[in-house]
Amino acid sequence: MREIRVVPRRDFRVPVEAEKISPDIFAPLTIEEIRKVEVWEGNRKQALIDLFEISGDGDPAKPEEVLIKLDGNFSRVKRVGEKMTCGRIGALGDIGMHAGNGMAGGEIAIKGSAGDWLGREMRGGKITVRGDAGDYVGAGYRGEACGMRGGEILIEGSAGDYLGEHLCGGTITVLGNAGDFPGIANRGGVIVIGGDAHLPGAEMASGTITVRGRARVLPSYQYQETVEIDGLSLKKFLGDLVDNGKGELRVASVEERGA
Amino acid sequence: MIIKGGFVYDPANGVYGEEMDISIEGGKVVEESRDGKEIDALGMLVMPGGVDAHAHIAGAKVNCGRIMRPEDGRRGIEPKTKLLRPQTGYTVPNCYAVGYRYARLGYTCAFEAATPILESRHTHEELEEIPIIDKGALTLFGNNWEVLECVRDGDLDKLAAFISWGLSASRGYGVKVVNPGGGEAWGFGGNVKGIDDPVPNFGVTPREIIRGLMKANEILRLPHSVHLHTNNLGKPGNYETTLATLKAVEDIAATRDRQVLHVTHMQFSAYGGTGWRDFESKAPEIADYFNSHAQFTMDMGQLIFGSATTMTADAPLEYGNARLLHAKWSNHDIELEESSGVVPLVYGRKMPINAIQWAIGLELALLTKNPWQVIMTTDHPNGGPFVNYPEVIALLMSRAKREEELASLHELASKRSSLPSIEREMDWNDIAIVTRAAPAKILGLPEKGHLGLGADGDVAIYDINPTDLDPSKDHSKVKEAFAKAKYTIKGGEVVVRDGEVVAVPQGRTYWVDASVPEDQAAKVKADLVEKFAKYYSIQMSNYMVQDAYVTHPRVVKAGVI
Repeated sequence: MREIRVVPRRDFRVPVEAEKISPDIFAPLTIEEIRKVEVWEGNRKQALIDLFEISGDGDPAKPEEVLIKLDGNFSRVKRVGEKMTCGRIGALGDIGMHAGNGMAGGEIAIKGSAGDWLGREMRGGKITVRGDAGDYVGAGYRGEACGMRGGEILIEGSAGDYLGEHLCGGTITVLGNAGDFPGIANRGGVIVIGGDAHLPGAEMASGTITVRGRARVLPSYQYQETVEIDGLSLKKFLGDLVDNGKGELRVASVEERGA
Repeated sequence: MIIKGGFVYDPANGVYGEEMDISIEGGKVVEESRDGKEIDALGMLVMPGGVDAHAHIAGAKVNCGRIMRPEDGRRGIEPKTKLLRPQTGYTVPNCYAVGYRYARLGYTCAFEAATPILESRHTHEELEEIPIIDKGALTLFGNNWEVLECVRDGDLDKLAAFISWGLSASRGYGVKVVNPGGGEAWGFGGNVKGIDDPVPNFGVTPREIIRGLMKANEILRLPHSVHLHTNNLGKPGNYETTLATLKAVEDIAATRDRQVLHVTHMQFSAYGGTGWRDFESKAPEIADYFNSHAQFTMDMGQLIFGSATTMTADAPLEYGNARLLHAKWSNHDIELEESSGVVPLVYGRKMPINAIQWAIGLELALLTKNPWQVIMTTDHPNGGPFVNYPEVIALLMSRAKREEELASLHELASKRSSLPSIEREMDWNDIAIVTRAAPAKILGLPEKGHLGLGADGDVAIYDINPTDLDPSKDHSKVKEAFAKAKYTIKGGEVVVRDGEVVAVPQGRTYWVDASVPEDQAAKVKADLVEKFAKYYSIQMSNYMVQDAYVTHPRVVKAGVI
C-alpha cells in the first residue's frame, strides 16, 4: 500500500473544494506533483501544498494500492474522494460535505463525523462513518431522479434528514437515529435504521426501509403483516400508495398520531 | 476578407463543390475584397452559415425548463474564460452557451420557435443575451381569443390586422400555430380531438383557425408562412390528422415565392397505430404526400437518444407525457393566448416507442425526394439538444451508420418502420440544403443560407475534403468535423477558429413590421382595449415589447400597403 498523509496547515474559514483528493488522481503522481495539484479555496485557486502538508511514499503506484490518510480537521474540506473508483481514504477526524460524491469503488473510512450529502449519487464502493452524518446521505443532488445506485454506506452514529433521498440501489445502514423523511422518493435500494425515524418512505416507489426503533408512519402506507427479522418483531407496510408505490416499510414501534 | 481555395457548396446559387474564393467586406459577400485578410480553406468544405428554423432557445418555457432541471444545468458546465461567460446545461443551456454552441457547429442564425405575445419581453431579454448568432422569434397565434373571434366572424382583414399588431407587440417574425384550439380547450381541462372538433365557447374548429391564419398570413405577404404544430401531435394514429390538415388547405396559395405552410417537427405527427402497443411509423405516407405537394415544407424533429426536455404550447400533450412517464411537469396558462407545459424525459434505445420515433425522423428526411421540403431540426430540446446536429448529419449521409445504430436499438425500430430498406445517402449538397439553404428559404431570409453577392458574410468552414472523404464509410469523421467548425465567420468576422469561440459579436434580431389599413387596425385596437380592461392581468402599455428590448433589430417590412 502506498500511504499518503494529508494534514491541513490551518483551520479553513471558507470551504475548500477538494475533489482532487482521490486515489485515482494521486496514484500516477509523485509526492512533489501531488503538492502542486490545484484546488479552489473559496474563489481562489491554490496548490494543495499551500493548504496541506503532504507526505508519504513518493513513487507512483496503482490507484487500488493508494491509501490517503486525512489527519486533522477536514470539516470544511468538500468533495473528498469524488468519483473515486478504487483505493482507500481514511479520515481520522471529521470530513466536509459531499464526501464520496458519485464514487464507483474503493473505500472511505471516517473516524469522526461526515457533513451533508455523504456519498451522493454513489455507484459502488463503501463508506463507513464512526460518528454521525449530515442531511441527504446517499441522495441525488437537486433535480436528479436517482441518488445512490450501488455500494454501501454504514453510519455508526445518527444521520440527518432526507437520508437516501431518491435512492435507486445499494444499501445504507444507520445504527443510530435518522431524521425526517428517510428514503423519500425511493426507487429501490435498502435502508436500515437502527434507532428512530420520522415519516420514512414518503413517495417511495420501490425499495425496502427498515426502522428498528420508533417511527411515525405516513397514512398512505397500508399495514400488511408482522414479520420477524433478526429476532425483532416488525410491522410490515406497503406504500407509498399516494404514488402507487410498491415499497416495503418495516417498523418495530409505530408512533401513534399526536403521540 | 477572402476565403481561399475551399470546396464551396452553395446550392441556392447552383454551386456544387467548386473550388472558389469567397470575398466578404462590410459584413456582406462581395465581388472583390481589398482589406488584405485571408482565410486559407484549401481542401476544406465551405458552406453558408447554418440556419436553424425551429428551436426553443429563449423565453419563459425555456427558463422554466432550466428552473425545473438543476440536474441538467450541471451537465455541460464550462467555466468562464477571458473571452467567454460561463456555460451550463445540456438540454436547456444558458443563453451564452446557446450562442457559443451554435457558432461552434458553424451555425450563424437560429429562430426561437414559439413565444406568446404576453411572454415576449422575456423572450427578447434572453435573445439579447444569446451572443454571436442572428435570431428571431415566431409568435403564437393559434389559441388567441382575438384570433378565434375573427375566425368565428369570418373577418380575415381584421385577423390580418391583429397579426400585424401581434407581431409588432411581440417583435415577432412569423405566425406560429400550436395545436390550434387545443390550448384554449385545455383551459377547461379538455383538448380538441381533430381538425373538425369545435373549440369550447368559441364554436370554431381547428380547420377554420388554420385556414383563417394561413389566408391572413398571405394577405399580409409575410416573409414566412404559417408554422404549424399539428393537432393530436405525439399521439398514435395522428398521421391521419396531419394528412387531413394538409388536404384542408390545398386550395390556399402563397403570395410570395415560398411554401404556403410549414409543418414543424413532423416526426411527432407521423404516427400510425391505434395505441402504443401497435404504434408504428407512417412516415412513408407523409413523405409520399409531400412528394406530390410541393407547396408544403416540414422539418424533421429528429429524436436523439438520451436526455431531452420537452417544452411546448401544447399543454394537454405535456399533461399526457407527465402522466405516462411519471415525470416532473410544469403547466402554464397564458391568459387569453395559450397554455404551455414542460416535461423532462429520457429517450432510450431499448424503448420500443423511442426507437421507432428515431427511425421516423430519418425516414421523413430520406423519403421526401426534394431536400428543400424537409429541413433538419431536433426540435431542440424536445427531440434532443441542437448540439447533436452533427450526429443527424452523419445519419443522413451514411446507411452504414444507420445500420450500426439500428443494431443497438429495440428491434421494433426495424420492424415498424421502413428505415432498414432505405438506401438513400445524402450528399454534401443535400446537407447544405437541409441545414442552411432551405431553412433560410423557408423562413424568408434572402440574405441567409447562401453565398451569392449581397448575402450576409456568414460562412462555415469544416475540416473535411469532400473529394476524398467517403461520408458513407467515414461517418465518424463527418460527425467530428461538423461538431467543431474549423472556422465560423459571422458578418465577415471570424467567431470560431479550430472549434473554439474566438470572438463574441452581438447578433441581430429579426422581426416583421407588417402594415395594414388604418380602419382595420382601429377595429382591432377597440377590441384589445376591451380585452385588456376586462381580462388581462396587465395593462396594454406594459404589454408591448418596446425598442429597448431589441437593441440590434433587423426589421423586415411586409403588409397590405
